[in-house]
Amino acid sequence: MILWEVLSYAAWIVSGLLLLWIVVDAINVSREFDEELLVSSREGADELLEQIEQEEGAR
Amino acid sequence: MSNYIPKIQPKRGQLFDSLFILVLVYVSLYIPLFLESDTASVEETAIVQSHSWESLGVSTVEQEQWQKLGYDEQAAAEIINDKFDYTIDPLMLIITALVIIGYFFFMLRVSKAQYREVIAEKFGDSSRETKQ
Amino acid sequence: MTATSTTAENTQRISMLKVLNPFHVWALGVGIVLVGEFMGWNFSVAKGGAYGALIACWVIGLLYSCVAMIDSEVTSTVAAAGGQYTQAKHIIGPLMAFNVGLYLVMAYTMLEAADALIVGDLMSAVAAATGYEGLSPQPFVVLTIAFLAWLNYRGVFMTLTLNFVITLFAFMAIIALFVGTDPLNPGSVLKHSDLLTELPYGWIGVVAALQFGMWYYLGIEGTCQAAEEVRSAGRAIPLGTIGGILTLLVAATLTWYISTGLMPWQYLGQATTPLYDAASIIGNPSLQVVLFIGTMFAAIASANGCINDAARAWFSMGRDRYMPTWFGAIHPHYRTPFRSIIFLIPIAVSFAFTGLLDQVITFSILSGLLGYTFMSINMIKFRKMWPLDVIKRGYIHPFHPIPALVLLGLCSVVYFATFLGYGASLLSIMAFYIVASVWFVMRRYQFVKRGDQFTMPWPRPKGY
Repeated sequence: MILWEVLSYAAWIVSGLLLLWIVVDAINVSREFDEELLVSSREGADELLEQIEQEEGAR
Repeated sequence: MSNYIPKIQPKRGQLFDSLFILVLVYVSLYIPLFLESDTASVEETAIVQSHSWESLGVSTVEQEQWQKLGYDEQAAAEIINDKFDYTIDPLMLIITALVIIGYFFFMLRVSKAQYREVIAEKFGDSSRETKQ
Repeated sequence: MTATSTTAENTQRISMLKVLNPFHVWALGVGIVLVGEFMGWNFSVAKGGAYGALIACWVIGLLYSCVAMIDSEVTSTVAAAGGQYTQAKHIIGPLMAFNVGLYLVMAYTMLEAADALIVGDLMSAVAAATGYEGLSPQPFVVLTIAFLAWLNYRGVFMTLTLNFVITLFAFMAIIALFVGTDPLNPGSVLKHSDLLTELPYGWIGVVAALQFGMWYYLGIEGTCQAAEEVRSAGRAIPLGTIGGILTLLVAATLTWYISTGLMPWQYLGQATTPLYDAASIIGNPSLQVVLFIGTMFAAIASANGCINDAARAWFSMGRDRYMPTWFGAIHPHYRTPFRSIIFLIPIAVSFAFTGLLDQVITFSILSGLLGYTFMSINMIKFRKMWPLDVIKRGYIHPFHPIPALVLLGLCSVVYFATFLGYGASLLSIMAFYIVASVWFVMRRYQFVKRGDQFTMPWPRPKGY
């Protein structure tokens, strides 16, 4: 059946386009922004501790 | 206590390290394949014989369900007669156990030494009091 | 936080978005796992018979309940994208953390490859059913991975909202199937009294079955990876994880009950899609369609969650320079670990194309198992180094240290089960982690800043 052949090609093309979009976007972002900024995230304390402390205070 | 200043890794080194770990994964995926290819060929000598539902010890209800799944007695026999072998090789068992225990032991030892460094650098030497 | 005042204190920082709620956490955890109910768990039936599989289902359910409780407690204090990796870094030490990070990346990327293969094979099966034999699954495997990677790249909220919808559908499909078997009249559709047999291999078979019993739940611990993106992680993660394990216990038991009531154990033990086969036996076409879509959705949800988790683990290792720093980048607009997502795409595709599905799955399960072994050690040390009154926990699990010890014991039994069927793979996978550990100590660790690894606002641990 021709339908499945068309679907196969469509799958290849769509995956190609999605991957291309991802890669182009990643390259653009890496050019546009400073590397220091991109890797600037820090692991660790979030709002949770403040929140718990606030609640403890309110009690 | 002087803090450890890490080296900055150049781009090429970063690429090399990413690839190294990948190659390692593929190697360990393929190793068992080579080990097993020696032993697999021996078992393919089962004699083809005719089966009936009775000789397979299949009850009438089971037979109905097999047939609903689209299996006749020959096809079902192939599945039913395919059995596992749970004989244990004690030597291999001991080796495997030692490898796993040794791995965790080694890892915990090294981690502990590294962890002391981390804590010393983060909180200062243990003699000094830290505020929190 | 006194000692680690970095130079970049005033400069701008980007971080991940805190947008998720407990439902997303549930979707992430259950989404990864549920595919195991549609396929894979039934290999435990081949290994130990139908009752053996039920025992495995519950024993391993106990193992995972321990995992969920332990994980919830530690994660409710460690809110970081690395999940167990970050826990290991703070509680046991760098080498352990490196190994845990690798367990996570390997377990999830390989599971993702297996999931994508399932989607491809299902497409081939549909094509065959409509009269087109020999459709290559490859384009659909790649499409699945590419689409989900794209979704992940574009933001975590949409990714996990989709996961919630399709996971819920897959779960409802199992419920629908259960209702369809007319459970109130045993004997009419379900024929347990005729189909259930004695243990075919005795108790050794039950032990061997434990290995595949892991399929019922493998991946639920992935919920921790969302910690940095969840609002009030300390509450949402325990809620989502424990809700998830309860869902899975129900789903697993129903799955076993339906399947063993319809299929002889020898067939069930080698079936590719047992739940779909169950629907075909009942002979209700609409149930068949629902189960087909359910299987498909479960596989997609699992792959989706795996991409999410593997990328976050890899990203965290990059952030600490355990892996190249380049991977520690966050997309300034979508706020996702975009380079890690990209890097893992070709790897997942290549795993899917090796043709070593068996090997890849064993690697994935064992990596998970190594992770659980770590968790039990981790929990005992965590309570010792920071007793309950020292740091605030969002959730405290009961009966400590029993869950940790039970977990350690069960892990040992599952290693033995793996040894029974896959001894060679077990050794080669251990060799991988040993070589990787040596490599980390000799080479990678020189790039790591020692004090920076400890990021939690906890006091100095006891005994150090």
